[in-house]
Amino acid sequence: MSGMKPINEKAGLLLEAAESGHLEEVSAMETVAGCATTFDPGWEVDPFGGVASLCQPMEADLYGCSDPCWWPAQVPDTMNTYPSWQEGKPSAQHDWRELDPVFPNTNAVFPKK
Amino acid sequence: MHRRVSSLITDGVMVFAMLLGTCAAASAAMSSAAAPAGLAAVRANCSGCHREVSPGHFDRISEERKTPEGWAMTIFRMRHLHGVKLTGKEQATIIQYLSDVQGLAPSETAPARFALERRPNVPDLKLPYHLHEMCGRCHSLARVALQRRTAAEWLKLINFHVGQFPTLEYQEGSRDIHWWKIATTELPGELAKLFPFESAAWRNWSGHPHPSLAGEWIVHGYTPGRGDYYGTARIRRTARHRYRARYLLHYASGAALDGSSDAIVYTGFEWRGTAKLGGKRVHEVYFASTDGMRITGRWFLTDHSEIGGHWVASRATGAPQIIAAIPSALKTGTTERVVVVGIGLRGSVELGPGTKCKVLERTPYGLILSASVQSNAAPGYRTVRIGQVHGRNLLAVYRRVDRLKVEPSLAIARLGGGTLAPVDAQFHVIGYTDVVGAGGKVIPVRLGAVPVTWSLEPFNAEAARRGDVRFAGTLSQEGRFLPAQGGPDPKRRFSADNTGDLFVVASHRDGKTPITGKAHLIVTVQRWINPPIY
Repeated sequence: MSGMKPINEKAGLLLEAAESGHLEEVSAMETVAGCATTFDPGWEVDPFGGVASLCQPMEADLYGCSDPCWWPAQVPDTMNTYPSWQEGKPSAQHDWRELDPVFPNTNAVFPKK
Repeated sequence: MHRRVSSLITDGVMVFAMLLGTCAAASAAMSSAAAPAGLAAVRANCSGCHREVSPGHFDRISEERKTPEGWAMTIFRMRHLHGVKLTGKEQATIIQYLSDVQGLAPSETAPARFALERRPNVPDLKLPYHLHEMCGRCHSLARVALQRRTAAEWLKLINFHVGQFPTLEYQEGSRDIHWWKIATTELPGELAKLFPFESAAWRNWSGHPHPSLAGEWIVHGYTPGRGDYYGTARIRRTARHRYRARYLLHYASGAALDGSSDAIVYTGFEWRGTAKLGGKRVHEVYFASTDGMRITGRWFLTDHSEIGGHWVASRATGAPQIIAAIPSALKTGTTERVVVVGIGLRGSVELGPGTKCKVLERTPYGLILSASVQSNAAPGYRTVRIGQVHGRNLLAVYRRVDRLKVEPSLAIARLGGGTLAPVDAQFHVIGYTDVVGAGGKVIPVRLGAVPVTWSLEPFNAEAARRGDVRFAGTLSQEGRFLPAQGGPDPKRRFSADNTGDLFVVASHRDGKTPITGKAHLIVTVQRWINPPIY
């Protein structure tokens, strides 16, 4: 990493991890079951096990995630699976409250009462 | 000649019917009056695409085994992506049938039951690291481990993933390896070996009748944030796969947790209930032991699956046993009311050296005692003896609390708002006292829940700088974290969401020196895909 200078906080954190030899462990670290462990940059947690290096605010890039199917188990992809998910909600920053969950029958195995 | 014409007509009808898709299946189902309702429902609704290659054997479907939740997810996908139309009754019939004839044996579900029970904040299954790269980057490995397929079927599932979610090959973790090569050459065989379609466990389980769960039960459970509860359950069978239960339960504080449940039992042991418990609507995900003597699992609020309690019901007619002592620790120099939950508790009661007790009441779920501990009693575990039965390490004596452990040690909470409820995080604390054992070794003795006050601190300097404690949410004095509102917050730098990186701190004061314990809490963003297996 000699000759390279971090230009923002995230780059600084990455440099720190790389210099201490922990980059691989950091990337491979486990989080809780059900959270994504793809860390570019991460959905729930970032490569450092925190939230400081995630996209902020998430809504600024949400459709940049749903359109190319970047978080297929967290964000509905409009590429194939839920093409109309964001229809009528052109701005995630303003319309995020209207975005519906896409798995309505989570409780299909239980008796109806 | 006449027979040949007849045959041609029949063939013609079949070809026409196949062109009509599900109509062909409906025809086949009607022609087989003896077929059980589940098989008939699969024929009627699935065989239009999944050819019935031999009686009761459907292309693809019959080469997989899944849990009820797994089949529900498959049906959701068929409805959503392929336009299958099903009534609620047809869906329920198909889930029941497929779970019964192509389910998982109890031992096959055991390592990943946490996912069925929707336990929050547990680590995922430990499988070879490349399986984390190949599968566990997006969803839990428990989701994989709760399926059984032939190698050919695993390959088809992989092909489906690539077609449906093509970007997965370009993500971190995939783009650095020969993902496609590994996925299509090594992986199907490896998965078929780890999670095989054919297994002795399934042959044994599916080949034998399963015990009825009707009867009287003794219940002991634990609700994080509320504590131990106990009492009785009466379960009666209302149909082949259906049960109705009545619960008479309460917390150690005396607060009632009575309720009733309607349940479906899948695969002979998978109890799925819809209940009212303590006035709240809950779902139950329990499993019955193979001998039908215990029902174990977790219940959770229907609208907040992260909030719930652990459940163990033991058949009241089982062998005499001590199940729990509540509270599970007594302080020296005190007298306390102790509930001993158990079965068939008869005879004299002893709580071990330095203690005295008398029976105040005998109840259907055990004994209520008055227990005194001498001020000079030695700290450590005690064996509870009642008549001929005993329970080791169910009760401890202590002078002081030496350390606290906050559970879970790492938790995720999610912001909410709009159409999504927030995901809370419930913490609880376990106290320990240190006892010096042989050779001077310090042995931590588990005391159970101890009273604490709760607070939040920034996890690191960055969290302090961002003001995460102020923005991310609030922590109740029952240890329940309630996340803040989602969405960009103009009060934060860059209008960031109200995410946070926090320490949850429990503090216990006994005398002058407070003792603290900490857990890591990450408050993160919403997810819009929430299937029954995360």
